[in-house]
Amino acid sequence: MITNSRRVKDYKQLDRELPTLRHVDPDYIYINLQNARAKEYTLDVEVGDHVKLGEILGRRKGKFFEQPIYSTVSGVIEGRTNKYHSSGDEVECLIVRNDFKDTYHESITDRPDSVIEQFTQEDFVEIIKEKGLVGLGGSGFPSYIKLNTDKDIHTVVINAVECEPYLSSDYRLIKDQPEDIFRGLTYLMRAVDATRGVIAVKKTKKELVEVLEREISRFSDWNIQIATLDDFYPQGWENMTFENAVGIKVPVGTLPMEYGILGFNVSTTASVYEAVKHNLPIIKRHLTVNGDAVNFPQDIRARVGTSVRELIELSDGYTDEEKVEVIVGGPMMGESIESDDIVVTQTTTSILVLKSVDYVEEPCVRCASCVYACPVDIQPVQIMNAVKREDKESARALEADKCIECGLCAYVCTSKIHVTDYVREAMKMLR
Amino acid sequence: MNIVTKNAPHLRRPNATVVRMMRDVSIALTPLIVFAIYQHGVDALLILLAAVLSMVATEYVYYQIKDFMERKREAKSETEEKIRELNWQKKEKKKALKEKTQKAREDYEAFMKDYEQRMASLRETLKEENRAAKKSDNKSFRLANRSFTIYNFTIITSGLIYGLTLPDTIPLSKVIVGGVVGALLAKLVFGGMGQNIFNPAAFARVFVVLSFGAALSYEAFVDADAGATAMSVLNEQMFNAGVVDNYDYWMLFSGIGLPGSLGETSALLILVGGIYLAARRSFDIVVPITYIGTVFLLSLTVMFTQDLGFWFPAVHVLGGGLLFGAVFMATDPITSPVTRPGRIYFAFGLGVLTFLIRLFGNLPEGVVFAILIMNMFVPALDYAKWAKSRFTVRSVLVFSIVVVLAIVITNVGVYYVA
Repeated sequence: MITNSRRVKDYKQLDRELPTLRHVDPDYIYINLQNARAKEYTLDVEVGDHVKLGEILGRRKGKFFEQPIYSTVSGVIEGRTNKYHSSGDEVECLIVRNDFKDTYHESITDRPDSVIEQFTQEDFVEIIKEKGLVGLGGSGFPSYIKLNTDKDIHTVVINAVECEPYLSSDYRLIKDQPEDIFRGLTYLMRAVDATRGVIAVKKTKKELVEVLEREISRFSDWNIQIATLDDFYPQGWENMTFENAVGIKVPVGTLPMEYGILGFNVSTTASVYEAVKHNLPIIKRHLTVNGDAVNFPQDIRARVGTSVRELIELSDGYTDEEKVEVIVGGPMMGESIESDDIVVTQTTTSILVLKSVDYVEEPCVRCASCVYACPVDIQPVQIMNAVKREDKESARALEADKCIECGLCAYVCTSKIHVTDYVREAMKMLR
Repeated sequence: MNIVTKNAPHLRRPNATVVRMMRDVSIALTPLIVFAIYQHGVDALLILLAAVLSMVATEYVYYQIKDFMERKREAKSETEEKIRELNWQKKEKKKALKEKTQKAREDYEAFMKDYEQRMASLRETLKEENRAAKKSDNKSFRLANRSFTIYNFTIITSGLIYGLTLPDTIPLSKVIVGGVVGALLAKLVFGGMGQNIFNPAAFARVFVVLSFGAALSYEAFVDADAGATAMSVLNEQMFNAGVVDNYDYWMLFSGIGLPGSLGETSALLILVGGIYLAARRSFDIVVPITYIGTVFLLSLTVMFTQDLGFWFPAVHVLGGGLLFGAVFMATDPITSPVTRPGRIYFAFGLGVLTFLIRLFGNLPEGVVFAILIMNMFVPALDYAKWAKSRFTVRSVLVFSIVVVLAIVITNVGVYYVA
C-alpha cells in the first residue's frame, strides 16, 4: 500500500473480450469547429449545402498551426449548435444530416505502394498536415509538427501501452487492425529515416503480444521490435515508455527528438496509414464506453462527430445512480464534463460514466505513498504543505512545476486527500 | 440522476485507508499480546488494558472538551442568545428588588408572571434546533466525533505499543500516568493525528522510565539470575561473554522464559508481525532493515576490534527492544521523513544512537531515546531544499562518509571505555 504503489487496478475485464461494436451511422453528425488548441475558424460551406464524406468544410486556426475540418459523413448541412468538447468547454459544431449513402469525396483515392515508396519526409509531412492528423492519445498535438523534425531520428516508438484504467480502445484497435499499425509505422520510419521501430505494449496483455508477433513476420524487411513493459501507471506517459522500451531517459522539459526518438500513439499510427495510403482524414475511431454507472460497457467504433448521448444510450444507458461523473478520457487524467451533451472528436479515447463518490478526507499521516508513487520523483505531500502555508519558495525548491498531473498521488492517498489538486495549485502559484 | 464535475483523478485506490494501515499494525501486534499474556498472565493483560484505555480516554476527554469549547466559541444561535438575555434581565430585576421600592417589586412581579413560560418555550425551540442540526450533519459516531481518532486505530495502536514496551512488574497507576502524558503531550497538544512530532508510545515509555525508572522499572531485574535482561547485564559489563550462558540463542530468539518488557522478548513473533506488515505493504520494510542492519554492523565492527565472539552482535540484535522498536515504533509514518532516502538516513541515525546509548549510556536500553531524538531530526531530513525522492551520487557519497565516521567513532569510543 505504501510501497509498490504504482500498481493501479485496471477494471478492464468487462469490455475487453467483446467484439467492437460498429456504430457509424447516426442520423446527425456534429462536427466541432473549435477545439482546445484552435479557437478561430473559417467555413467554406453554408447551411443547406450537400457535402460528401472527406470534404473540407473549413479550417481551424490555432496559434501556430492551421488544420482543415473534414466532413466525416455525406449529407446535408443543417445548421450550427453548441456542444461540449473533451476539454470541458462548449464549442460550436456544424450539424450534418446523414444521407446514409457514404459517397466519398473525389479527393479520396488510394495511393499505389510504388508512389509511397518514393515519398520524402516533406511529402509525408504535407499529407499528414493536410489530413489534419493530431495525437490521438488525447493530447491533440498536430502530428506533422512532430514529424517535421530536422533532428536525426533513429527510433520510432509506437505507444500502445494504454495504462489508464478502464480504457481498452487501443487494445481493440490492435486486435482489429494490426496490419494498419505496422504499415503506419513503416511510413513513419521511412519519413524520418529511422532504423528502428518499437511497439510498446504491456506485458500483461498477452493476446496483444501474440497478435503483434504474428504480424511482425510479414514485415521482416523492417527492423521492428515489440517491447513488453511492466504493468504500472503511468507506463503510457511518453517519457516513461521511452525509458522502459528503448532505455533512453528523456528529462522532463526536453523534447524526445533531441535524443533521436519520436513517439506516436498507436491510433495515430493507424490514422497515418489511412491518410497516406487511402488519403483519408480521421473518419472513425475506436472508443471505450465504460464505467461503473453505465449498464453495458463496450468498445465502439464510431464516426467522429457522433453525439456521446447516443453512445451511452447504445450501451443501455445509465444505471440508477444519484450522482454520476461523465468523463472524457481516462479516469486518472480525463476531464469531467458538466453535461453528457458531448461530441466525439478525433481525440476522444473514451467516455467514462462513474459513480460519484464523495470521499471523506482525513488528516495526512505522512505515509508517503504519494512520494513513493510519483513518476517524476517530486514530493506531493510536501508540496501540499507548502501550498497550505502559501510558501512559494518551498514549492519551487520541491520542483512542483515538474508535475505531469498523472493523478497518482491522489489515487494512492491513504487519507483520501486530493493531493493532485494541491500540486496543481502549487504550479499555479509558481507561474 | 445528476451529472457532477470533479477534478481528475476520478478514481481512488480501494482499500488504501489510514484505518487499514493502523489496523494492520494492531493485527501484527496480536501474537505478541498473546505471548505476553501467556508468559506473564493476567498482569500483562491488565497493563495492556490500562495503557490502551488511558490513552483512548485521554484523547476522548480532550476532544470532548475541545469540541465543547469550539461550539461555545462559534456564533451562538439566536435562541441561546435570547435565553441568556432573559436570565440577565431576571438577575437585574432581582438586584433591583433589594432596594425594596414599590416600583421594583411591581416590575419584578410583572416580569416573573410569564418568565417561566417564555423560558420553557425558548428551551423547547433550542432543543428542536439542536436536534435538527444533529440530524443534518452528524449522522454517525464517526462524524459526531470527527476529531476523535479512535475509529482509525491510531490511538489504540499507540496504546498497545506503549503497553508492550513496559515491564511486567509496573504498577497500573504508573501505566495510566504514562499513557495520559504520552497521549496528551506527545500527540494532542500538537494537534492530534498527523501533526505530532514525537511518537506517543515512545514518549510515554520514556516518561515512565525517567519518572519512575529508578524506583520500579528495572529494579526487579538487577539480580542477574532472577530477572536481568541481556541488555542490563551488558550495561553493567560491556563485554560480559557470560551473558550467553544465561540466555542461549533459542531463548533469545523465541523469547520463552526470557525476562524483559512485555512485548519485546520474542524476536520470532516480532518478525512474524513484521513480515505480515511488509506483505500488506503497510510500512516501508527499508526502515527496520536499515535500523537493525546498522546496529548489527556496528556491533560486528566492535566484535572484530575487541576480539569478541559472535554472541556480541547476536545479543545486541536479539536481546533488547531493538527488534520491537525497529518494526513497530520506527516505522510509524507520522514521525518519519517522507522520502525513501530520508527514511534510510532516519533509520541509520536510530541505529547509531541506539548502539551508542547502549554502550556508553547509563541506561541499558537506547531504542526509545533514539526514536525520540531522531524524531526531532525529521523536519531537517524533510527540508525542502535537500530532501530528494531518489539517491543522487552526491548523497550516496556523503552518506557513505557518515557511515564510515560512525563506525570509527564507535570503535574509538569503545577503545577508550574498554
